[in-house]
Amino acid sequence: MSDQSPAHNLVFGMAGSGGDGIVSAGDSLLQAAAAEGYHGVMTKSFGSQIRGGESSCRVRISTDPILNPGGNLDVAVALNWEDFLKFGAELPVSGTTVVIYEAATLIPPDRIPLVGVVPRQVIPVPIAQMAKDTAGTERAKNTVVLGLIAGWFGIGAVAVMKGIRKKLAKKGEELVEANQRAFDAGRAFAMANPLKVNMNIVPSETKGAVKLITDGNDMCAAAAIFAGCRFFGGYPITPSTEIMQFFTDHVWKYGGSVLQAEDEIAGIGAAVGASFAGVKAMTATSGPGLSLKTEMMGLATIAELPLVIVDVQRGGPSTGLPTKNEQADLFAAVFSAHGDVIRPVLAPTCVADTFRITVEAFNIAEFYQTPVIILSDQEISQRKETLDPIDTRQFEVIDRLEPSAIDLKDYKRFAPTENFISPISHPGMLGGTYLASGIEHTESGAPTNSGTVHARMNEKRTRKFEPLKDRKDLFEVLGNPDAPLAMVAWGSVAGVCREALQMAQEEGLNVKLMVPYLLYPVAEGAYRDFFASVRKGLIIEQTHLAQFHKLLRMHLDLPSGVRPLARSGANPFLPGEIVAALHNLLSELQRRHEGKLQPQE
Amino acid sequence: MNGTATCEFQPKDYKSDLKPIWCPGCGDFGVLQGIYRALAAIGRPPHEIAFVSGIGCSSRIPGYTTAYGFNSVHGRSLPIAQGIKMANPDLLVLAAGGDGDGFSIGGGHLAHMVRRNMDIAYIVMDNQIYGLTKGQLSPTSHKGLTTCTSRHGSLEEPVNPLLYMLAYGAGFVAQAAPTDLAGMATIIEAAIRYPGFAFVNIQSPCVTYGMEEQQIKGLKAMQESLEALGHDSSDRLAAMDLAQHYGRKLHLGVFYRNPEPPPTYGDLVKARQEELSKNALPVENILDLFIKK
Repeated sequence: MSDQSPAHNLVFGMAGSGGDGIVSAGDSLLQAAAAEGYHGVMTKSFGSQIRGGESSCRVRISTDPILNPGGNLDVAVALNWEDFLKFGAELPVSGTTVVIYEAATLIPPDRIPLVGVVPRQVIPVPIAQMAKDTAGTERAKNTVVLGLIAGWFGIGAVAVMKGIRKKLAKKGEELVEANQRAFDAGRAFAMANPLKVNMNIVPSETKGAVKLITDGNDMCAAAAIFAGCRFFGGYPITPSTEIMQFFTDHVWKYGGSVLQAEDEIAGIGAAVGASFAGVKAMTATSGPGLSLKTEMMGLATIAELPLVIVDVQRGGPSTGLPTKNEQADLFAAVFSAHGDVIRPVLAPTCVADTFRITVEAFNIAEFYQTPVIILSDQEISQRKETLDPIDTRQFEVIDRLEPSAIDLKDYKRFAPTENFISPISHPGMLGGTYLASGIEHTESGAPTNSGTVHARMNEKRTRKFEPLKDRKDLFEVLGNPDAPLAMVAWGSVAGVCREALQMAQEEGLNVKLMVPYLLYPVAEGAYRDFFASVRKGLIIEQTHLAQFHKLLRMHLDLPSGVRPLARSGANPFLPGEIVAALHNLLSELQRRHEGKLQPQE
Repeated sequence: MNGTATCEFQPKDYKSDLKPIWCPGCGDFGVLQGIYRALAAIGRPPHEIAFVSGIGCSSRIPGYTTAYGFNSVHGRSLPIAQGIKMANPDLLVLAAGGDGDGFSIGGGHLAHMVRRNMDIAYIVMDNQIYGLTKGQLSPTSHKGLTTCTSRHGSLEEPVNPLLYMLAYGAGFVAQAAPTDLAGMATIIEAAIRYPGFAFVNIQSPCVTYGMEEQQIKGLKAMQESLEALGHDSSDRLAAMDLAQHYGRKLHLGVFYRNPEPPPTYGDLVKARQEELSKNALPVENILDLFIKK
């Protein structure tokens, strides 16, 4: 409600102890919302422990399409305050928030431990007691919460129980009935204790339409299989592991296979081998694993083998923040290698476009015979979104260039060609045998120490990417294309900026937003065009060192009024925060005009 | 199974035009000859063979064959070989390297290679020294060896590759030496034909940084055929007993060959693919998995 009118958009934040079923409740709520035709985004966050500890989820439901988990909460649910407060700015409560909390905490409504905030309404509810009374177990607390939500906000009155019924059907009618009673009790409590302000969400116009619900990791894996990937080699690491899990569930059905390797190096090594054998291959990891995979990425670069590497970023360096979001692997994705390497790096901005970007990553890997990194992040990878169905047939799938019969007569694997891309054979292909190697090689693949050959091969391996920079479809510009005020953002932060753009425009700012999907090689032309009209701007990113800002400045001169809005994870940017930063920029400009401030540079 | 003869091949058919970088007298020349002979005996055409190596003198070996070769990075021949085999189980996949490559930097992959029992033959040219980097200590160097990285003598016990492999549960473990070329070729052939992961340790002396001529003569004196000893190669415990002599006695032959080879990883993968493909959505419809009804 902080962002849009209450009736169209609600943000729920819930926190409790591990085992309270918080995330499961969020899932049920999102599914119910989808069934009732709403758009939704759900993120979850945990402490870094297995059981016990704290867990939270945030569910945003809207009548309109949304691409971020929203700002301040409209509804906060605290099963206990200790756990809720651990999430700090991830679950921001404001003056418009309705706070629901477990009455058994014995904290009076005027003494809740939220410092400096007076919520719109604070309601203690004996959630645990109601669960016990109706279902005979406190484990039904999450179902009581869903009943409260159905009663107060008008979401899920029918669909929630339908979902629960389906989920629990195997476990027996008794359990279903117990949950039905818990749900009804929650709903009845809400009816009997109406809110001060009506916060019922308006009915969706698309009720009953088919919606997909998935997260970025599953979407990435499904897209990879669609793109023809038939081998996955990897090693479990949060928050990328679900990609491997999806492969182990499904890739066999399509004649492919998956290897849970002994370490990150073996995982990518097997993928390199599979690619050499002629099969589209992928590995997925997070920052610490990317560090380990670096040598193999260099190998695939010099051997010119297609390979897709997904790096689902989390906070770093080292083990850092394993379960929380950051965008700080950018430099690692772009630069981590020795020698002269250009490695395409692509970034999706939401679950939906993860499909397109993943297919594109395979196409680029195959066409250019190169490793490609998909720079995803924890936010996209583990958040669930409701999506409209995607017509997969509109996506072209590209395969690597194989040698023709003429090529195979006197086959040279690394033959010089006009576009620097040579036909690639694979074992089993008669006439195509060659030596792939990490050592520098001649056109035929023979090892060499020649500096001349090395220079020529470096040119081949880097110049082949030039056309990639002209791919206008890998950039998006929103807002007024001639605006003097600009934002640039990538990855999950771009989703927040789309909403910030809308807010800023509603506040009368003449502003535009660039969302790059191709981060590297830096497409200088696309940025030059974009910045031509710009006097002031923000490069918005979740890094401490303003990595993207620096990367752009390595490649082009930015207008002097363009500066980074960069900060560490894990707390997400809020649209309002970005709009405020835009206003600051403008007032600074104003003051400079009035001569109160000397130009910076 | 890796080896099914399709047509007649001669050892020279597997010899590439590249000239080996090895020093004159290097044991690896013999190993290369043994591989040519073994491949000819099996008779798979070169383009159906993928030969993977890591880094080091010995790892140059794929380039000297007419097979599809992959001279990769240090210690990583086995992961790459596994990926190739999984991607195309019909290929004959060979891996090769040296003792540093296999037992030091790549040592972590060995146990898992064995566990997965992929139909891959792994040939290690064990010279107990780092040759290409000019004579540093290797994981199989004997304790006390003086090298440029152990000027005062090494303080470590050598690893025992044969015992490692037997302990991990490898189905085929053998040792050979280029001093017995015919015997070595037969052992390599048997390793390739073994349906599952097969390991051959080849004592391939380094004439430049390793052994003096005198020592190579000593190596010959240590040589003893397992067959002549009457060793029963189906007896894993007996094999482990003999393997303990690594470094003191040069036993040549098959230490262990599982008489009842279990299904290979490839067999299991194939079975799973067949079973699960019945439930496949057309790949264009894969996103239907995300529809919650």
